Amino acid sequence: MRLGAIRAYMLKEFIDLKRSKMIYLVYLLPIMILILFGYGIRLEVTHARTIVIDQDNSKLSIDLAHAFMHSKYFDTKILPITPDEALASMKRAKTDIIIIIPPSFEKNLLKGLKSEIGVFIDASFPLRGRVMQGYVQGVLLNKASEYLPPQKIPLILINQRLLFNQAMRDENAIVPGLIALALLVAPAILAALLIVKEKEYGTIFNFYASPLSKAEFLIAKLTPPFVLHSVNIFIAFFIATYIFDVPFRGSFALFWVASELYVAVAVGIGLLVSIITRTQIAATVLAMLITIIPSFLYSGMLMPISAMEGGSYIEAHLFPVMYYSYILYDTFLIGQGLQSSTIILYLSILALYGTGLILIGSKLLKKELS
Amino acid sequence: MLEVKNLTVRYGKKIAIKNATFNAHNKEIVGLIGADGAGKSSTLHAIAGVQRFEGEVVFNGYAYHSPAEAEPLKSQIALMPQGLGLVLYPDLSVKEHFEFFKRIRGVKDDPAYEERLLKMAGLYKFQDRLAKNLSGGMKQKLSLICTLLHRPKLLILDEPTTGVDPLSRRELWEILDETRHAQDIVILYSTAYMQEAQQMDKILLFDEGEIIAQGKAEELLKSAEPYTYEETSCDECFCFDKRCYSLKPLPVPHAKPTLEALFFINALKKGKKETRFQIKPKKVQTPPIIVEAKGLTKRFGDFVADDHIDLTLHAGEILGLLGANGAGKTTFIKMLLGLYPIDEGELWLLGKKIESYEDRIELKNYIGYMSQNFALYKDMTIKENMEYFGKLHELPSKTIAQKIEELSQGLGFAEYLDEFPTSLPMGINQRFSLATAILHEPVVLFLDEPTSGVDTIARAGFWKLLHELKRKWRISILITTHYMSEAEYCDRVVVLKEGKKIVDDTPQHLHELYPGLSFEEIFINFYKETK
Amino acid sequence: MRAFWTILLKELTLFMRSVGLVVAVLFFFLVDVYIVGNDIEIEPKNVSVGYVDYSNGGVLSKKILSHLHAPEFKKPIPFQSHEALSKAIFDKKIVVGLIFDPDFQKRYDAGGATQLNVLLDSTAATQSLLTLNYLQNIVLGFSSPKFPIELKIHKLFNQNSDTKKFMPLAELLSIMTLFGVILSASVFVKEKEQGTWDIMLLTPVDSRIIIFAKTTSQVLILFFLTMLSTGIDLFGIFDLPLNGSFAAYALMTLVFLYSIAGIGLFVAAVSNTIMEVAQWSVFLMMPIIFLSGAWTPIYSMNIYLQYLAYLSPLRYYIEGVESILFRGTPVEDLWLYFAGMTVIGAFLFMVGYRKIGKLF
Repeated sequence: MRLGAIRAYMLKEFIDLKRSKMIYLVYLLPIMILILFGYGIRLEVTHARTIVIDQDNSKLSIDLAHAFMHSKYFDTKILPITPDEALASMKRAKTDIIIIIPPSFEKNLLKGLKSEIGVFIDASFPLRGRVMQGYVQGVLLNKASEYLPPQKIPLILINQRLLFNQAMRDENAIVPGLIALALLVAPAILAALLIVKEKEYGTIFNFYASPLSKAEFLIAKLTPPFVLHSVNIFIAFFIATYIFDVPFRGSFALFWVASELYVAVAVGIGLLVSIITRTQIAATVLAMLITIIPSFLYSGMLMPISAMEGGSYIEAHLFPVMYYSYILYDTFLIGQGLQSSTIILYLSILALYGTGLILIGSKLLKKELS
Repeated sequence: MLEVKNLTVRYGKKIAIKNATFNAHNKEIVGLIGADGAGKSSTLHAIAGVQRFEGEVVFNGYAYHSPAEAEPLKSQIALMPQGLGLVLYPDLSVKEHFEFFKRIRGVKDDPAYEERLLKMAGLYKFQDRLAKNLSGGMKQKLSLICTLLHRPKLLILDEPTTGVDPLSRRELWEILDETRHAQDIVILYSTAYMQEAQQMDKILLFDEGEIIAQGKAEELLKSAEPYTYEETSCDECFCFDKRCYSLKPLPVPHAKPTLEALFFINALKKGKKETRFQIKPKKVQTPPIIVEAKGLTKRFGDFVADDHIDLTLHAGEILGLLGANGAGKTTFIKMLLGLYPIDEGELWLLGKKIESYEDRIELKNYIGYMSQNFALYKDMTIKENMEYFGKLHELPSKTIAQKIEELSQGLGFAEYLDEFPTSLPMGINQRFSLATAILHEPVVLFLDEPTSGVDTIARAGFWKLLHELKRKWRISILITTHYMSEAEYCDRVVVLKEGKKIVDDTPQHLHELYPGLSFEEIFINFYKETK
Repeated sequence: MRAFWTILLKELTLFMRSVGLVVAVLFFFLVDVYIVGNDIEIEPKNVSVGYVDYSNGGVLSKKILSHLHAPEFKKPIPFQSHEALSKAIFDKKIVVGLIFDPDFQKRYDAGGATQLNVLLDSTAATQSLLTLNYLQNIVLGFSSPKFPIELKIHKLFNQNSDTKKFMPLAELLSIMTLFGVILSASVFVKEKEQGTWDIMLLTPVDSRIIIFAKTTSQVLILFFLTMLSTGIDLFGIFDLPLNGSFAAYALMTLVFLYSIAGIGLFVAAVSNTIMEVAQWSVFLMMPIIFLSGAWTPIYSMNIYLQYLAYLSPLRYYIEGVESILFRGTPVEDLWLYFAGMTVIGAFLFMVGYRKIGKLF
């Protein structure tokens, strides 16, 4: 191992990255992923366009309608139109919710008679429909129970305790998963490009024809993406906690160590990609293909791993994303840290994964034309 | 001493070089010549230990049979692969390259030696310049001195001078000569320029994956003498560069052969025949002056690609636009065609002043253009390519079919009509690209480097074809090339150097000015004057 | 006109001959749409439930647990203590924990309010919100016969709020956008790379026709793929409804693809290599998709983003397609979507033509 040679090669990589402006890509891509997706994926619905048709016009019905006016979830208009007109407006995608309070609503309620409130929800975006349904039910039932006659009805009240994400913020649920996405995609692409670029331009001959050993070459090639993306660990942490206000309850040291191991895994994936591709474009596409979809699926960001079955349960365990994002969600939202044996196990799996990939990669790398 | 024994390189089923055997002694420069794809690069890669091979290579007593076995020798070997500045990093400066190569090879600092190398290459003053801002010649000189930094015992150079201006080519050669006198070194050197090959200590002639002849230049030339005659008309022979080559005796005196003779004689021995081109005569009316450019200038940022160039192309004239890679030839043609905007200067095409896009539209049918690398669709057969462009030139289908038939017969590629360009030799692609460019019978042809990468025989044929076109159609041709020797076939030549015009003259007049010199040497004089 | 057909036919032939590309697009339009539609589930499904029953096997707790069944829930798992349950939630083995207090049944029988304790792992915010919703509905069911207000909820256009009907559509739209930009940019940039574009410009064909023909070829390929995916994946496998006119859907798809091809043309004008096309496409793609309203409703966005959203052709298309497939909007109410996409497309074509379609 000749340190001088490695240092010179690495220095060249840094100068090259800086002068070819690729360094911007190193930092722009993860930041863009975090910011865009972080702001972009909102499962919560606010300002749903709501029409209330009050056919009763009683104190109670007006009160009920007003309950919708003072909520960030609804943009409510009380309109004197027919249900058909309201439905036509919904068909033109101008309205999301229609609430119809029937005539003699107040009278019936006071008499203790049953009355029926009609609710129409545009469920073309199904999730949005579900969420809006929940909001509407909550508001109506709460408001209505205030007016209930004081008679005995056996009720089961739900005493909910939300763990980890009390405010049920989308940011808390999604941003840690996005970190797992960003820190996999970007280092993998960069590591792959650094090697494939030399293949495509022909400068790879400098390695082939020199006494530089494979190990020296790999250290020189893989250290820059590793080091540069280590900075992204801190940037991601900053974006999550300051910009998206995600709480951080665990140990920063654990977060940091796990992230470094994960970046090493990503770099290892990049190395494998660079071995089977010849052009930069192919390397980029392949690196993206094998990192983005698994990250979305198995980070737990959209679906808990415990809810998976069969094939996808096994696949989730094959990709590194699941192990890292488990530690991520723990350090951000839960905070068990090293007391949990699962975390120790997953940490070691990440370490093994990284070493394994780089070992396989160095076995497959050839110091000759192929 | 280098001994190569039965060296064979395969790519899957394809054999790139078969049973190559040769020796090279200390302080010798061994030249490898032959067409593209003849096996030169594969041989060099195998010896450099970057390509798997069968057979044995012995260098100074150490034998190796694979890249892994060659590993201990790598500190003594240097390889400069084919391609301008291929081993350089565009965003690194000259000095940074020096540092990089010194460190990865673990060479101790030797300021005196480094300074000497830089001065030899004329780069001493440009140490802070980035590689991407160097001219083609400077790039190659930098690559060469970078490979010399660790004082290799075996230097392997794969076409180091292709596309480089003649003066840089000479300087590169001088560096090599100086190096081999100063130290023990074996140099393997492949080249497409026969003038260079002539200076080597030994020549290996490659053809279709085999070494078909080797020896000193004089020996090889001598072997060609019996078949070389003065120019005449003959059957079953090749004629090129004022000489004819024939296996049967010809009733004219023998001539002194050049190394090119070896290719022609080899072709004759393999039973190949010269393609006879047949082009139907045609009458055309054209203005006396086809292209008139005054002070054409093109800038890319701070870089001036073409600096106030005047040029006139007369009707029925073949005008050669010569210069090294990066001298501004392609940019100039693109300005003439309207593919780049003109930053400064005036232009008349076919007697019409060009001031806007509209001025060019009606001229399109009179212009033929063949771009660098014979740009045609790789996923379409030759016939489909020609049909496509025929239709775009608004020719009736019947005419197109007729023309394809006529041109493919006349230009000698009829048997390849249903093949894809990628599976054909460069020489065939070159001719069919030309056929595509003249489908609509233009009055003026712009050809951008039609002969680069094409072997000698195909190049000879191509020039014949151009003269035939000129004779039968009175077509005017503007052609660019970096082979200075091709000036011979032009009616007039313009030489560009770093965006400036340094020569505009007829070959005859140039020969009168510099009697006894080759064009290569004449242009070196001009280059030196403008330095 | 002959030139138009010649170019169109040539581009279609070249596409068919690039086997790798054909396989790739078929994979994305058919298989990937299927995978995403089938695998990505945002709704609660298979949610793991644990419980501790301190009420000693009361009937009520059993009744409630029996409502937690597939497909939404896995079979509830009993735990010995509150602590054990908590630990399982911390270890992410359980998402929902129910704790029945000792007097749970007693208080209910007494005709008063009783309390069900729910522990929720809300790291998956949506699932937990929806799960809570489910639970609320279940327990409401117990008291509702006597509750005086009944909510009659009609979820229009997609009655079961089935994400299986939405995810594949959303994925198809993203893929159409990505490939729309890449394919239509590549037909130009490939020619730039190989140098054939110069030769095309020098033929006597009007370059507007060349550009339009090349673009149309890719639009047709994408249109065919979209229809294939619509037929096999959307209607065939995922059983999407078609409440409006199919002709309107097809026409809107065509207009959308042209407007996306306009973006492709712009990308082609600013890139010289396929690598640059890829970079530009990704950088343009993300905003286009996020501003489309597919993930966040446009009315929920920041006001400036709402203005910016007018520039995303996908926004018009996605709303238009939802309207046609789900809402069954009459054709005459769709003109705004057509207008939006046409304006954007026409503008981009003009810019692209000016940048690459002219000789100087």
